[in-house]
Amino acid sequence: MILRPLYAVMERELLRTLRQRTRLLASLARPLIWLFIIGAGFGTAFQSTELHYQNFLVPGVLGMTLLFGAMLAALSLVHDKESGVMRMLVIAPFAHHWIVLAKTLSAALAAILQGLLLLAVLAVLGFLDVHMRWGLLAIGLVACALACAGIGVLTAAFSRTLENFAAVMNFIIFPVFFLSSALYAVQHLPAPLALAARLNPFTHGVDLLRHAMLVPLGAPSAAEFSITVDMLYTLGFTVLALALASWRFSQEGRYEPLIYALAGKR
Amino acid sequence: MNDSAASTPAISARALTKRYGTVLAVDGLDLDIPAGQFFGLLGPNGSGKTTTIHMLSTLLRPTTGTATVAGHDVRRRPVTVRGAIGVVFQESALDRTLSIAENLRFSGLLYGLGTQVIEERGGELLDLFGLGELRKRPVGSLSGGQRRALDIVRGVMHRPRILFLDEPTTGLDLPNRRRIWRFIERLRAQTGMTVLLTTHYLEEADSCDQVAFIRAGRIVERGAPGELVDRLGQHVIEIEGPKLDETVARLEPRFGPALREGDVAMFRYAEEDVSGLARLQAEAQGSISALRWRRPNLNDVFLWVNAAQTTDRGITTSAPQRPTSLAG
Repeated sequence: MILRPLYAVMERELLRTLRQRTRLLASLARPLIWLFIIGAGFGTAFQSTELHYQNFLVPGVLGMTLLFGAMLAALSLVHDKESGVMRMLVIAPFAHHWIVLAKTLSAALAAILQGLLLLAVLAVLGFLDVHMRWGLLAIGLVACALACAGIGVLTAAFSRTLENFAAVMNFIIFPVFFLSSALYAVQHLPAPLALAARLNPFTHGVDLLRHAMLVPLGAPSAAEFSITVDMLYTLGFTVLALALASWRFSQEGRYEPLIYALAGKR
Repeated sequence: MNDSAASTPAISARALTKRYGTVLAVDGLDLDIPAGQFFGLLGPNGSGKTTTIHMLSTLLRPTTGTATVAGHDVRRRPVTVRGAIGVVFQESALDRTLSIAENLRFSGLLYGLGTQVIEERGGELLDLFGLGELRKRPVGSLSGGQRRALDIVRGVMHRPRILFLDEPTTGLDLPNRRRIWRFIERLRAQTGMTVLLTTHYLEEADSCDQVAFIRAGRIVERGAPGELVDRLGQHVIEIEGPKLDETVARLEPRFGPALREGDVAMFRYAEEDVSGLARLQAEAQGSISALRWRRPNLNDVFLWVNAAQTTDRGITTSAPQRPTSLAG
C-alpha cells in the first residue's frame, strides 16, 4: 500500500526537477566550471605520477552534483511545509515517518538524474573510459546520492523556515563539500581537517566513485578507503539520518507548530 | 454502509481537550455525530474550531480526553482514521506548481488509488465544477473559487465516509459558494457521507442537521438550527432612537435583556402575535426613531449566545422572557 504514495512523491520530484530548467542547467554548469577552472588551475600545482589533477577531480565534481541536487531537493521539505503539499502528505493514510523516507528517496532520485546528465556531458568531453567499473559506478551514484539526501532531510527536519536557507548553504553544503575528499586526498590534510573529512559521509560517497572511475584506470591510490568501508559508511549514515529525521518530524513539539502554521494561525 | 457502521457514531468525542501552555484551545469538548449527519461547528475566529478538526483528523494529539472517528480511536489508530476521512483545510492543500490533473494524481496515489480510478473519478468530479476542460492548467493560474473547488475534489476523491470542511467558502463570492454547497448536497445525497463543517457564514449552517456553537474552546449551545431559532423567540425587535440607553433601561423589565449592536438595540419577543408591538411604537413616540420586528435566524442565535458569554448577564437562549404586559 505504501508503494503508491512513495511513487507519488518520487514522481512529483522528478517532474519538478525536469521542469526547473535553470536549476538543471546550473547543476551541470557548476561542476564543469570547477572541473575546467579549478581543475586546470590547481592541476599545475599538484604533481602526481598517476593521473592529472583534472581527472582526479572528475569523481569529485560528480559528487558535487549529487550533493547539491540531493540537498536542494531534500530542503524543499522545508518549502513543502510552508505550502499546501505538506497538508496533502500529513492527511494521507500512512504513518508520517514515511514522508521522510519518501522525501529522501525522491531527493536521491533527483540527484541521480542530475548525475546521469553530468555523466553524459563528461562522456562527450572525453572524461569517461570504457574500462571503468560501471556497475560499481551505479552503486556509488546511489549510495552517494542517498547519503547526501540524508544530510538534506536531517537539515530540513531541524530547520524551521527557508529564511535560513543561506545559512544552510554556508554552514552545511559548503563545509560538507570542502571538508571532504572531493577536491583533495584526505591523507594530505592536517589532522583535524582529515578527521572531519573521514567522518563526512560525502567523503565516502566520492571515494566510492573513485573506486569505480579511477582505480580501474591505473590510479589505485586515488581511492583512500576500502569499498566495504565506503558502502557501510554511506548506507549506515543514510539509515541513521532517516531515523533521526523521522524522530524529529514526529515529535509533538516539533509537529504542532507545523500544524499551527498549516491552520494559518501563525 | 453496513448496520454496525450505521449504529456507531461517525464522530464521538469525550472531554476532548487541547492545551497550549497556559492556553486552553479546546476545553472538554463532547460530541456525538451519527453517521450521515450534516453537523456544523460554529463560532468566532480563535474559538477552537480548527483545533477540534485537527484533533479529530489525527493531526494534533489531544492533551486529554478521547475521540473516535469512523469507530477508531484517533490516538491509537491515526492511519486507519485518516483512511476513512477527507479533510478540506482552511488553507489550500494543493501544489501550485503542478496542473489540476497532476495534483489529483499525486493526492490519489497518496490514498493508494490506481491511476485508472483517479482518472475516472477525478474526471467526473472536475466536470461537476466545470473544471474538466482545465485539467492541464497549473493550479497557480486558477481563480480562488476554482482552487477551492479542486481542493474539495481532492478531499472527496477517495470517497471518505466522513468529510471535514474547515471554513470551505471563506473568501469566495456568492456563485462559487452556491456551487460548492450544491456539490456537497449532491455528494451527501449520493453517498450518505457524514459532514462536519465549520463556518462563520451562518446562513450556510441553516441546512445542517445539527449545529453547535463553540466559544473559547467550549460548546455553549447546540441543537437543530430550526429549534435553536425557535427557542430564541418568535421575533426579534430592533429599536433605534436618540436616547437608546434610557429606552433600553425602560424596556428591559418587560422584554428581558437587550442586545446592543452599534446604534441598534435588540430584544427577543416570544409571542407570535405582534399587535402589541404597534402599541409600543405609539407609546414610545419621541424616544424611538425606528422600531422593526423580524423573524430570528441563526445569526441572532450566534449573537445572543456570544453576548451571554461575554457580558455574563445570564442571558440564555433556552427560553425568552415572556413580556409581562405591553400596556405597562
